[in-house]
Amino acid sequence: MGNLALAEGLTPLVAAVAALVLCVWLGFVFYEVRSGRRGRSAVVVSAVLAVICVGGALLRPTRVDQRGARLGPRVALLVDQSRRLRLPAEHGDRRGVALAAAGALRRRWSSAQVDIFGFAEGKLVPLSLERESTLGQLGEESDLSGALAELEAQPGERVRSVVVVSDGRFSRPTERVDDAALAAALGSSGIPVHTVRVVEQAPADASVREVSTVGAAVAHQPLVLHVTVGCAGGLRCDDVPVVVRELRQGSPAAELARGVAHPGAGEATIDLEVTIERAGQRVIEVAIDAPEADRVPENDHRLLTLDVRRERVRLLHVAGRPTYDVRQLRLWLKGNESIDLVAFFILRTNSDQPNVVDDTTELSLIPFPVDALFTQHLPTFDAVMLQDIDAIEYKLEPYLPALAAYVRSGGGLIMVGGPSAFSGGGYAGSPLAQVLPVELPRTGEPYDLRTFVPAYTAAGRAAPVLGGVRQLLGEELPSMEGSNSLGKPRSGSIVLWEHPERRIGEVPMPVLALGEMGDGRSIALGVDATHELAFSELAERTSGRAYGALWDGLLGWLMRDPRYEAGRVSLERPCIAGEPTAFELVPPPGAAGEVVLTIERLGLPAETALTRKLAPGAPLLHVDAGRLRAGGYSARMRVGAAPPTRLDFACEDGGRAFADSRPDPGRLERIARATGGKSVSPADVAELPLPDPTEVMVERRASALVPPWVWSLAAALALGAHWLLRRRAGLA
Amino acid sequence: MNGRNRLGRRALTTGLLALAAAPGRAAAFGEAGAFRARLLAAGQGHTDEARAGAAARWASELVRRTSAPGREEREVVSLDRQALFREPFVVWSGAEDVGALSRSEVSGLERFLRLGGILVVDDADPDNGAFGRSARREILRALPESPPVRLEASHVLFKTFYLLDRPVGRVLGPTHIDAVVRGRNAVVLFLAHDLLGALARRGEGWAFPVEPGGMEQREHAIRFAVNIAMYVLCSDYKDDVVHAPFLLQRRGRAR
Repeated sequence: MGNLALAEGLTPLVAAVAALVLCVWLGFVFYEVRSGRRGRSAVVVSAVLAVICVGGALLRPTRVDQRGARLGPRVALLVDQSRRLRLPAEHGDRRGVALAAAGALRRRWSSAQVDIFGFAEGKLVPLSLERESTLGQLGEESDLSGALAELEAQPGERVRSVVVVSDGRFSRPTERVDDAALAAALGSSGIPVHTVRVVEQAPADASVREVSTVGAAVAHQPLVLHVTVGCAGGLRCDDVPVVVRELRQGSPAAELARGVAHPGAGEATIDLEVTIERAGQRVIEVAIDAPEADRVPENDHRLLTLDVRRERVRLLHVAGRPTYDVRQLRLWLKGNESIDLVAFFILRTNSDQPNVVDDTTELSLIPFPVDALFTQHLPTFDAVMLQDIDAIEYKLEPYLPALAAYVRSGGGLIMVGGPSAFSGGGYAGSPLAQVLPVELPRTGEPYDLRTFVPAYTAAGRAAPVLGGVRQLLGEELPSMEGSNSLGKPRSGSIVLWEHPERRIGEVPMPVLALGEMGDGRSIALGVDATHELAFSELAERTSGRAYGALWDGLLGWLMRDPRYEAGRVSLERPCIAGEPTAFELVPPPGAAGEVVLTIERLGLPAETALTRKLAPGAPLLHVDAGRLRAGGYSARMRVGAAPPTRLDFACEDGGRAFADSRPDPGRLERIARATGGKSVSPADVAELPLPDPTEVMVERRASALVPPWVWSLAAALALGAHWLLRRRAGLA
Repeated sequence: MNGRNRLGRRALTTGLLALAAAPGRAAAFGEAGAFRARLLAAGQGHTDEARAGAAARWASELVRRTSAPGREEREVVSLDRQALFREPFVVWSGAEDVGALSRSEVSGLERFLRLGGILVVDDADPDNGAFGRSARREILRALPESPPVRLEASHVLFKTFYLLDRPVGRVLGPTHIDAVVRGRNAVVLFLAHDLLGALARRGEGWAFPVEPGGMEQREHAIRFAVNIAMYVLCSDYKDDVVHAPFLLQRRGRAR
């Protein structure tokens, strides 16, 4: 198809001025010949011809040929990528239904430009329905508002319509937003949003919909958990038992609270008060006993990782006899505002002769409340320090199993040396010996009288626990008068100081060792003279500060103070059962050697070990741990010989996305209505209207009607002829 | 001993003394933290032989009456020697004016007390009081910011092992003692009771008569010495909250 146009580069203004000048001149000619002169017709005709030719020379008209095409409209298909879509639909799971609907739409709209994106709580992700690898990244929530805003901001051809394939439980727009607000938020762009409702009916499901706390979790203090239980899909839940447990390493879960919720056919919230005795990351399970018809067992329990804080470290210090070592430790503990100290020292034995008539009025002594301390009060302590106390003489023996269980369930234990500590105190072969970081010899001398200076091991030099002491004293340590006989370190324990002369087989005897025992930690210190770091000729050089540095480190490590951990372990994203789990490991500055990450399931002996080598100077290490099952886990990182760093975490089945399985088809319908779109079921995707195709020009050709020189020549001849005719007609 | 091969506490405090590797140093496991009353020699002061022996005997009373370990070796330390810092307890006894301590002695005393050492100043002639006054003067040079304060009968010193209502020594002396207190701890105790005089022995008998209370007063003096030793070893342990109800009840019963 062709059109006429003026010469390129000629502005409309210039063309208009030229046309006006020519018209005025032609009018003037008509005026001149009005009086009926001879030959006037020839003059007029020649003038008209001249005007045409001059006009043609000025305007140079061209012929324009154009060719166009019709393109399919650009349509965006937004498929919900929340892991909530793994929940059941009427047939199969919601995700399968959503992908099938998306596939059907793409086939039906093969003439259109269909871009398929996945959306969750982050950025839009292009999806390829044929490649499963693009479909695996699932999110926690479905932020449709964010997805539409991102789509609108994309460069290039504008989207003509959007189709959202989802179950409708969006985090945005929220459930409560009204139609007017919906229209304002989503309909302002003028793009219709069609919706495909992948599921209409909620499955029969009882679930723990939400668990929240009032305030922060603090060790030894009651914490109220608000537990919301819901029932949907025609399930009736008149009485739903709820139980709260703490998952612990190497031992069965400990029940913290129990209650009954009455959600009926809706939801109900009950408050359960729990007291967590151990600080740090604690994995808590909130579980319901769901009715038999429940179709979604995965959300019958929630797993939470609570970061339990500690207001003050509550410490039990028990000493078998008062010495300068006991004195110094007490002075340090009492001088530390962050420690709530309960102390018991044995000041008198049965063989002592205080020379009194009446013990009760002449002595200030009280009975050693061993039963109360090691039964009812034991869980209230964060750590127990046993300093040179004989387990048999002071009747501790019956309580050692409970003390060992206390350590395994997360308590801290320090055994400080002396003649009545370790094997000398009757601990060898006892249950408590099993939770010490070293074995205890059952034969031979329980201690050695030789004076020695402890030597740092490689681990001792690397451990942040002793960093403070080494900063003050370097390699130097005070001379110690004798040592307890300690056995070889237990598996997973670390020796920081060793004896320069005494050996166990081929290796030096440990003097100071740390170990992880179940959920707890323990320290064995096989000397009774660390007070020399506070008061001695050596201590005088450092004003005794090395003593505080030592015990700051030991107690800090025992209480999992991050300053004394060898590095940091963290999850790159929350752990979800069945999905890839990855860790970020941060080794301590200057650390070198093999990095070993061990992941252990809480409550069970199952263990998965991963080994990664640390590249020299690499500050971070990313470790893929594969897909874990639902449960609580403990991850331990060990760098070279340094003490391990631990992270306890929960791995949920679906997590928060599974907590409420009800779809929201009504919200999908409202969104469609508010934006001028249409809402359909997956079976009716054929009813969705495809926008009109877009016309686009693909070719344009312009060519002059007559070559410009012809116009110029004709104009000159016409003007010349007109001039001759005018002369003959007697005009000027 | 339940079949376990180990040494008794008393064996540590007596038999193993023969193993002493160096003068003034503990020589066995468990010994390093054992109580010992070392005698301080400073200024122009002089401690007589009987009282010097009483300082060494102090530990034996502690060991006999309590679970605390003690060492009876005699050691005299100077303020200007590093040996001062081997153990945190010294006794300074005398009857005359000690004169002015040298600069190095004052410095040594200051460092000893700031490091956490405890000093008992025991006036052997409280009627005269010259020793006590001069010792206060010189200690004030070391710790000018900490003048002595009075310790009342409610202080933990009077209940660390025995329940006592006043200090006594060879003489009855004042019903209170003065002390230099740093933080929560008394670091210098000023006794005007000649405590070492009450503990001192000569041959098989006592070196000095105790006035006016006789044997009963001597027993109270020994108890006071034991309490001081327990204060050195346990600091304010008996002030802990767990002891409060028991001690209140016992004090009430004793009255």
